[in-house]
Amino acid sequence: MSRLPQQRFAVAGAGLLGRLVAWRLLRDGHAVTLYDAGDLDTPPAAAWTAAGMVAPLAETVVSERCVYDMGRMALTRWPEWLAELEAPGLWHPHGSLVVAHPQDEGELTQFRRELDDALGAPARYRPLSGADLQALEPDLAEGFRHGLFLEEEAHLDNRELLARLLAAIRELGGECYAHTPVETRPGEVESAAGRRTFDRVIDCRGHGARPRHPTLRGVRGETLQVHTEEVRLSRPVRLMHPRYQLYVVPKPDGRFVVGATSIESEDRSPISLQSSLELSSVLYTLSPAFAEARVLEQGVNLRPAFRDNLPHVTHRDGLTSANGLFRHGYLLAPAVVDHLLAEVRGAGERPFAAVLAETAPEESAS
Amino acid sequence: MNTLKDDQHDALELYGEAFTSRLLLGTALYPSPAVMQEAIAAANCDMVTLGLRRQNPAGGDGDAFWQILRESGCRLLPNTAGCRSAREAITLAEMSRELFDTPWIKLEVIGDDYNLQPDPFGLLEAARELIDQGFKVLPYCTDDLVLCQRLREAGCQALMPWGAPIGTGRGLMNRYALRTLRERLDVPLIIDAGLGAPSQAAEAMEMGFDGVLLNTAVAKARRPAAMASAFARAIEAGREAHSAGLMERRQTASPSTPTLGQPFWHTGG
Repeated sequence: MSRLPQQRFAVAGAGLLGRLVAWRLLRDGHAVTLYDAGDLDTPPAAAWTAAGMVAPLAETVVSERCVYDMGRMALTRWPEWLAELEAPGLWHPHGSLVVAHPQDEGELTQFRRELDDALGAPARYRPLSGADLQALEPDLAEGFRHGLFLEEEAHLDNRELLARLLAAIRELGGECYAHTPVETRPGEVESAAGRRTFDRVIDCRGHGARPRHPTLRGVRGETLQVHTEEVRLSRPVRLMHPRYQLYVVPKPDGRFVVGATSIESEDRSPISLQSSLELSSVLYTLSPAFAEARVLEQGVNLRPAFRDNLPHVTHRDGLTSANGLFRHGYLLAPAVVDHLLAEVRGAGERPFAAVLAETAPEESAS
Repeated sequence: MNTLKDDQHDALELYGEAFTSRLLLGTALYPSPAVMQEAIAAANCDMVTLGLRRQNPAGGDGDAFWQILRESGCRLLPNTAGCRSAREAITLAEMSRELFDTPWIKLEVIGDDYNLQPDPFGLLEAARELIDQGFKVLPYCTDDLVLCQRLREAGCQALMPWGAPIGTGRGLMNRYALRTLRERLDVPLIIDAGLGAPSQAAEAMEMGFDGVLLNTAVAKARRPAAMASAFARAIEAGREAHSAGLMERRQTASPSTPTLGQPFWHTGG
């Protein structure tokens, strides 16, 4: 960018939100310093552990209508941003599938009803027969007789995106500090190296900002990442089961992420055997060819959540804070970032202000 | 008019303690803690259950969520959901006693992973041990009379038979067995699991059950707080109806006043 820096920003937290905000501010011609408590190449962020689905329909069933509306915006914003990042291939707008064992087909009916209740007509899914499922995903096990096709959904290659964002931030002259835990205050960041002043500090630390937010909590999520050349999937597949709803998301180079458990605990210890059995069972059920897949890693992370499980942005003199994206990072980040940037610029419409600018329930200003 | 709501004598009594509400709520599956808090408030319940098995309880890592439950002002009733043997359940109960400083435990020992049916053998074994240790055990059990009698003999002062398997919403699947339990057992009986509609809860209360424990029916409703309130009122109505004394059903539809034009001797036949 040829424009002179207009303002000096500090962004605390180099997860998905922090990287997006830093990148957009740099593109606007501002000077940005990005801090993270952990590594930047394999960050401790929930966004690194996540599967990278952009699933406004399926997520609305487990949350609120506004999640759908914000998610719809993500479906248009991601391709625009990925084009600007010269990485359009990371976006996969191929929809998603929802399936259930024949004995659990009641779960599919329940899911359809909840979707209809939440969004009303017209139905936003296409019922599929077993043959339709085979035509869309030939490697899926043949036992599934019914499924749903959520055509408007998408997924993205999240780790590649995070790397691309970091590269863009560096190309644009962003100053990046890894392994640098900070405290954030209006117009000031304090690290072990001392205090530094900025025109504005933007706190995107997720669960790392818990000391700032009395009601922010972490919700444990566990994933497995596997590799196999024997199965190809073009889109995420969600398996409905009375006890758990888990999904598999295809990644580049024969990798798959299966996730994620949701446990009301701030436990960061390694994955439990129970969870690993459940996640493995989902893979094996969707395609027995996963049996010889290699487990590349187990992922454990904490989703940052306020009590309503919705994101909130607080904006005061010299300090803006965005947090609480819960299980919807890639789905809600575009709405949160657009809102936050409009707030910072002090101009333009702030999208979804009715949700995002609200103080989180029982969260006093801190 | 003296309705039961005003009547202090109609408290639910468990292990010598009185509870004003006959509705107990589970705390899983809600779309958010905020929605759960609204539902607990709307249900106006005195006791909520919470699962510990997967929270790594020994590390205290579930505390952020437990704090939300404490704020509800309800008594916390830890459960052993997810335990598949008596030994697991006993260990978890001991841990929950320390964590929450409570002798109360909703005892679950699961025998079947798919429908979460209780394992009667493991349940009885764990109940005996925990009663010996001074726990106030509320066992989640099937509607089998002999199992319930054995749990009673083991020292359980209240039982929680299922209406139907957890999360099915099928209501009272085996009325005959449940009625038998009610007639034969002299302890408080709380229907735990399987209810999907307030009418089913009202029916259980009309049959003489002492309370109802719900989770899925409320948590998965489109508006959980409204559903919690609907259940609370159905439970009160059912309880009041039971105390008021339901009329006996009759074999034929009979006019309650003599029908004009019919000779009276015809109705006496």
